[in-house]
Amino acid sequence: MGTCLCDAFFDDAARATVEVLEYLGCTVHFPEAQTCCAQPAFNAGDWAAARRVIRHTVGVFDGELPIVIPSGSCAHMVYHGYDLALEGEADADAAPRFARRTWELCDYIVNGLEVREWPGTYRKKIAFHRSCHTRGTRTAESALALLGSIDGLELCTFGEQEQCCGFGGTFSVAFPNISAKMGRIKLEHMRDGDPDAIAGSDMACLLHLGGILDREGVALPRVHIAQILRDALKSEGLLS
Amino acid sequence: MKSTKAYPTRQPVDRYASDLSPSVQESVYNASKLKTEARVDALQRDFADPDANRRLAGAIKQHTLDHLDTYLEQAESSLRENGAAVHWASDAESANQIILGIMQRNDCRRMVKSKSMVSEETELVPFLEKNGMEAVETDLGEYIVQIDHDHPSHIVTPIIHKNRQEIARSFEREGLGAYDDDPTVITRRARDYLRSKYLEADVGLTGANFVSAESGRIVLVTNEGNARFSMAAPRIHIALVGIEKLVPKDRDLSLFLSLLARSATAQCLTVYTQFIGGPRHRTQRDGPEKMHVVFLDNRRTEVLSGDCRKILRCIRCGACMNVCPVYRQASGHAYRGVYPGPVGAVLSPLLKGKEFPELADLPKASSLCGACNEVCPVDIPIPELLLRLRNRAKHEHVSLAARGTPSMGIWARAASSPGAWKTALSAGRLLNVVPHGFLNLSSPARAWQSSRKLPPFRGGAFRKWMRERNPPKNGVPSPDRKSEPDS
Amino acid sequence: MKDRDTILKRVRDGLAETPERTPYPEYDPACAVMRQPHEFSSLWELFAWRMKSVNGVPLHGWNALGDFLRERALKFGYCDPEYTEAIAAVCGSLDITERFDRNDLDRYEFGITAAAGAIAETGTIVLTDAATRPRLAALAPWIHIAILQEDDIWPDSPTALKRLGDDPSVIWVTGPSKTADVEGILIEGVHGPGVQVCCVV
Ligand code: SF4
Repeated sequence: MGTCLCDAFFDDAARATVEVLEYLGCTVHFPEAQTCCAQPAFNAGDWAAARRVIRHTVGVFDGELPIVIPSGSCAHMVYHGYDLALEGEADADAAPRFARRTWELCDYIVNGLEVREWPGTYRKKIAFHRSCHTRGTRTAESALALLGSIDGLELCTFGEQEQCCGFGGTFSVAFPNISAKMGRIKLEHMRDGDPDAIAGSDMACLLHLGGILDREGVALPRVHIAQILRDALKSEGLLS
Repeated sequence: MKSTKAYPTRQPVDRYASDLSPSVQESVYNASKLKTEARVDALQRDFADPDANRRLAGAIKQHTLDHLDTYLEQAESSLRENGAAVHWASDAESANQIILGIMQRNDCRRMVKSKSMVSEETELVPFLEKNGMEAVETDLGEYIVQIDHDHPSHIVTPIIHKNRQEIARSFEREGLGAYDDDPTVITRRARDYLRSKYLEADVGLTGANFVSAESGRIVLVTNEGNARFSMAAPRIHIALVGIEKLVPKDRDLSLFLSLLARSATAQCLTVYTQFIGGPRHRTQRDGPEKMHVVFLDNRRTEVLSGDCRKILRCIRCGACMNVCPVYRQASGHAYRGVYPGPVGAVLSPLLKGKEFPELADLPKASSLCGACNEVCPVDIPIPELLLRLRNRAKHEHVSLAARGTPSMGIWARAASSPGAWKTALSAGRLLNVVPHGFLNLSSPARAWQSSRKLPPFRGGAFRKWMRERNPPKNGVPSPDRKSEPDS
Repeated sequence: MKDRDTILKRVRDGLAETPERTPYPEYDPACAVMRQPHEFSSLWELFAWRMKSVNGVPLHGWNALGDFLRERALKFGYCDPEYTEAIAAVCGSLDITERFDRNDLDRYEFGITAAAGAIAETGTIVLTDAATRPRLAALAPWIHIAILQEDDIWPDSPTALKRLGDDPSVIWVTGPSKTADVEGILIEGVHGPGVQVCCVV
């Protein structure tokens, strides 16, 4: 699943996801009819609208293949949101069936494919934001394990790692002041160790944090973990 | 109010946060952050798997709620056996009347109160005062709230929003001595003043942190010792208790006490943990001759029958507000009710009953980051409950809740029709229907753009690349899954 | 009674449509017992270490208590009649009384009362209505001294819960009275004792 944000803004993160999966031997299908996981409407409280999109998505990804998403929040939506939105509906059992096939990218690599060490080099200091939707799951650990195994990559530690970046979808619109303040606090912490780039496994957080950096005229790069994994491979000629 | 004008779509809690003085915001932020860190340290130091204990406590509470009828009746008969009189109040008004009645029948004029959130709910103190009774708060923070005619902004540390200078000025105004903002002096002065109040009082009112259905013991925790004093000097003890405060057995208490103390204040046990099993012992000189327990419903049964029942597990530890990034910015008064922070964002609108719309914006005051669930000692899935209430607000067309949230109708139509979605992407018109709604150049978009910038729009670029490339030939069918996906 | 029946009916109605009621979980309350940083040779050792960590004062034996009272240059206080003789023997200079007058709370520099038990795990003293008399003498003076029999130190809180018995007021005391209400700054001795002593005999 490509995610709507990659569709609209972050095509390179989606490309990197495909390249990384192909490097691991997967054949990647991209059903052209896909749109979005339905999270925006669901989180806004419009569950009727969300159900329309969920049903569309479930239909588009019909079959048995694993569904891999380069976004913790979309995966979380599938795991927990689909269940709630379809609660009491005739097709409620579609939710758990769909969830069982769905993987967040790093979880898929580390736990699905059992790849724990990542080859290649990446000579940069990275501040990694474990996005909130991976809270209490093994996804964040998976991402950190992969990053930690890359030659040359230095991970910055910083304060209040458990705190949210402040995005929250429509929250960032209806609560512009609190949301931006949260983002600034997050960035302050992340920049403590003077990283070369900030990274995450969810483009939504990076959209928000990057938006603040841009507004403040700070040129600090933001990268999706798939881009790091791909670039590490490329630097060693493991990928053309 | 200038801020509201600039962005009319902003939510009330966001406005509160920007109108808050920087010094208040800083003290709230710092105090909450320190408490969050201390809590984590304490739990990880003391337990191999603190999460297992949270889940267990959550299950015990859920079990109690799912069998609340049985446990209430059991608690009632155990309490009677202990020599306590049991009263039932279906709403705030009737609870206050019961308490007033007890005071009048026993010729009482003066009450000392230890901290009780339920009495805040019923607005007991103003009610008693109106009826000619004196009622003094004895928890230091609550006492300061009382003399300032303020409201608590946190359920554990009620004056987290005040600094020592303000408190010193209040004490001076109340005639408790010349201005001195040394916290030790402030505390000593309160100690001296409140002693006389304890001794004069006829009634000590407390809440209850837990009630064991098995033994009818009321369990109360305080650090200051004010609940002890309220039950050592006066001759009558009244406990005002929400019906959800039950636990099945005495044996469950060590788990709950250990979680409550650590979650609230990072202690292994609160300084004073009292197990009250009736009026004083026959050999005791001090303490109440009579004990009354008032069970309060006040819409708890309504919550129990709805889809947010889990919120009634709450043991009022305050950990969710300490960790909440929104609470840290907005402070407690922004939540406009007795219970602030994440728990309040769920509970306060629910306790409003038909006036739900008045507080229906609170469930929106969250980025759904889930930190509250992660710290909750009874594992309440607060984000899920917030989402349910958002859905309810949408159903009931509450305009306050909708403020600032772009309508999802057009977007959902595009997102469930591949043709429309692709057209939008390729024509760059996704700008108008894209999720999060901040792209249309309306007020929400300006609000977003005021402190952030959107990256360049690259709609369709990935799809084009995907279509036009030659996938590498080494592709094999998807590898076998070695385990189930993580949820 | 009207409210009682209304509430119970509402509860029953509210629960009626619960498809699956959560069962009472099988568990061992020992899961709530905290781990200790290292081994202790006896329950007294653990208790004393824990009590110190919450700013309490653990003492072993009457002589230690005598030293404590002298060091602090204490003059006047309340003592449970049970212990006056022992106290007089180790600190003859004290003026102690077996009467506690609630109208003169602030005259007493200290109160010496019995404790019914203690919890080693947390450094907690257990006071009961039957053993600790009167309530105010253990609460109002700045210094409270609880006298405890060494055999009455229990290992942990689940054990202490089993010993609640039928006493109408059991109080677990873990350190001196305290608050952090003012700017989060810790202050001891709010309404209760500012100094909490436990003397094991
Ligand atoms: S909801 Fe949970 S974390 Fe929040 S106050 Fe209640 S028990 Fe504590």
